[in-house]
Amino acid sequence: MKKDITVRFVGSAGDGLVSLGLLFGKILKMHNFNVLGFRSYQSVIRGGYNTYQIRFCLDEVLSVGEDADIIFLLNKHVATLHKPMVNSNAMIIYDSEYIDLDDMDYPQDIIKLPIPLASITKEISNLKVLKNTVGFGSLSYLLGLDDELVKEVILEQFGAKGEKVIETNFQALEMGLKFAEENGWLAIWEKHKYEKARQMIITGNEALALGMLSAGLKFYSGYPMTPATSIVHYLTKHLPRLGMIVKQTEDEIAAVGMAVGAAYCGARAATGTSGGGFSLMTEIIGMAAIEEIPLVVINSQRAGPSTGMATKTEQADLFQIFGASQGEFPKVIIAPGTVQESFEAGIQSLEIAEKYQVVVIVLMDLYLSEHMITVRKLNLKRKNQRFQILTNPEKGFKRYDLATETGVSPRTIPGTKDGMFFTGSSERNEHGTSIASTLAGLPDTLPIREEMVKKRMKKLDFILQELEAPKLEGPKDAKLTIISWGSTVNIVRDARKQLEKEGIEVNHLHIRYVLPFHTEEIETILKNAKKTLIIEQNFTGQMRDYVLMKTGVLIENRLSRWDGEPIVPSQIVGKVKEVLK
Amino acid sequence: MTEEFNLTIKDYVSSFRPTWCPGCGNFSQYRAIRQALVELEIPPEEIVVVSGIGCSSHMPNFLDTYGLQTVHGRGIPVATGIRLANPELTVLVYGGDGDIYGIGGNHFLHACRRNVDIITIVSNNFVYGLTTGQASATTPVGTITRTTPRGSIENPINPVAVALSAGATFVARAFSGDLKHLSWVLKEAIAHRGFAYVDVLSPCITFNRNQTFDYFRDKVFKVEDDNHDIENLHDAIDYANQLSVQDRLPIGIFYQIENKTTYEERDFALNQGVIPAQASLELTDEQIETITKEFY
Repeated sequence: MKKDITVRFVGSAGDGLVSLGLLFGKILKMHNFNVLGFRSYQSVIRGGYNTYQIRFCLDEVLSVGEDADIIFLLNKHVATLHKPMVNSNAMIIYDSEYIDLDDMDYPQDIIKLPIPLASITKEISNLKVLKNTVGFGSLSYLLGLDDELVKEVILEQFGAKGEKVIETNFQALEMGLKFAEENGWLAIWEKHKYEKARQMIITGNEALALGMLSAGLKFYSGYPMTPATSIVHYLTKHLPRLGMIVKQTEDEIAAVGMAVGAAYCGARAATGTSGGGFSLMTEIIGMAAIEEIPLVVINSQRAGPSTGMATKTEQADLFQIFGASQGEFPKVIIAPGTVQESFEAGIQSLEIAEKYQVVVIVLMDLYLSEHMITVRKLNLKRKNQRFQILTNPEKGFKRYDLATETGVSPRTIPGTKDGMFFTGSSERNEHGTSIASTLAGLPDTLPIREEMVKKRMKKLDFILQELEAPKLEGPKDAKLTIISWGSTVNIVRDARKQLEKEGIEVNHLHIRYVLPFHTEEIETILKNAKKTLIIEQNFTGQMRDYVLMKTGVLIENRLSRWDGEPIVPSQIVGKVKEVLK
Repeated sequence: MTEEFNLTIKDYVSSFRPTWCPGCGNFSQYRAIRQALVELEIPPEEIVVVSGIGCSSHMPNFLDTYGLQTVHGRGIPVATGIRLANPELTVLVYGGDGDIYGIGGNHFLHACRRNVDIITIVSNNFVYGLTTGQASATTPVGTITRTTPRGSIENPINPVAVALSAGATFVARAFSGDLKHLSWVLKEAIAHRGFAYVDVLSPCITFNRNQTFDYFRDKVFKVEDDNHDIENLHDAIDYANQLSVQDRLPIGIFYQIENKTTYEERDFALNQGVIPAQASLELTDEQIETITKEFY
């Protein structure tokens, strides 16, 4: 019995692909499978060619899979386009009334599973989208899914739409099942009882949002931009329950400006965008830094430059983040690699921002933001501590007191009696008064400037101590060390599993904290490596250059992909073999 | 408030003395703002003055309130964030024509329609002062400046008309040369429920030889003396459009409506009395269940 199945829905925008994918993902999760789903789509609202691929297995699921075992074609247009992607042993479900696969020159050995979706649907309702549920029923038959669990999920998903909708969906499902059974489709799996799962199925953006909420997020602002927008969608949906502000703004400058304003007032605040919006935010990022206002900015990378490919993934904004805003200031960059790490980044970013009064950038990418995966229950219950806030200041307190060990001076928030202070985007003295206009360059102010820069920069040393140092995964003395950052981490792990099966041992260094950087630890690991290979979704090898700059170690080999789709394990396996040859 | 309010305008003065050129129109605004705050009995710790970049934007440096100077043109969004995070605060945006009508024009437009209860005061001197005299968004056609040595060829913006058409619920113009009237207008603006905007005609004595104190003194008249109905938007727009009439320049409160709901009243959390800046950082079990249900 095959333990690891990949199903691909292929359709156009408007075909209901997203709800189909979500529904199927949830149903599989309910059956206690580990599930990973990813949609590949285009920037169109109707039409186009989209796929929603779902892989599920009993073991840990680490990547979205490559060849599909089962393909469900939703319309004729995509059936033609999808031909080059079809592997020879795939089973293909399609609407036999609209698609004639015999005409299309598909690979010889595929298993064709025609089903007259339109006529079957017509018997129940005029709703065209119900076709998907019929097809879904036949798919359930192939996989031997538990009817009760399937119905439970459908009820959950469509329950709010009323009894009639549920009824027709159940009917459609049963007709699909019946058709498959009566037409002698061969089930891959025997039907059996499943233990009901307690896992969650969730995307990177949603996990990040949950992390932030768990850490006391009270203000989130944003301007719509793929792939960051789904954070706003999620938060807004639950707004009535959360007692917080979610604000769509006129542009990303306003988004980051409002977040800074809210944070200055004591609310834990964040904003999120992608590279283009981040470009607009950079000036205020520097302002928050010099004013020492806690700020969390999420940048979910997509293929650039400029508008680039709005719905495609890439890891090419690293140098943009490094250079974000003029001058020098402590900047924290966290680059989660998995959905679990995205959740943790949500907590960590808000906490570090407040504790050290710094800007924390959470660097995501489209694949990480949008793919859904089953994870163990995320624990949102936390006791949140407040950091460095004075509630009873002495009159004339120094907001930017230089005499602190960590460089963090306690702050007051507006409304606090005797806590008034001025802060500005100019350099200042310990009270906050600008030394940039009439006082600039005076003998007395030169050391103030020197000390203020030092005060801000030394925070990074203390922040580094709070971040877990990277560890090498896999056998210590392997012939090759793979280096990854961001969302490729699990794809590398998947490739390692395949390599192990073939008796090829490699180990793996995953870089999660980009700034401050664990220079010593990473240098040691790399110097002890026999051979090195870095995996990056960009053209120029930005992390490789950064590692070289920090450690002096040049990673000899690299595997890059910049066509907009996530790297797949077989690419890594191939590259490893080439390097070890 | 049970305690007697006994603060004077001196109590709002910081230790940093104003750095404007002697005779600058900003001085009377500096005084008028404090006068209005005293008369409204708003204690300094409940006030945040937010500014951008420019001569006028130095204002919060000189006030002993909470003060935050942002980058150029971004006072309005930062102030909006402050106010939404803590609606118990009085939040003033102070800036110049370059700051708020030029680089920050987009935010000005959206603040007008959004109706968040903040006050925006623009010290309008028709020129970029701090960068030593370039044309601004309000510089009249033909004006010679350092970037328009052959005379400005762009039409100026009519900011008061813009604010009225964008939906601001309090729109006024005042003149730096009439302190008493200015203080009154600012006081009304601060007391207003919703977005309040005041354009202050404020001569730059160093870089603007055209729009001087004398120039304005000859032209201004108060709409209050005209028996103007401040709830009449059409008349307000008529007054706003008199900017181009050379010999008469209206000042005063052009427009004010109180019955329009504010953003705060429409916002789900704020309308429930939540103060995000002070709200509990912990999620309740019920909240956790609701927000995670969809993932199971």
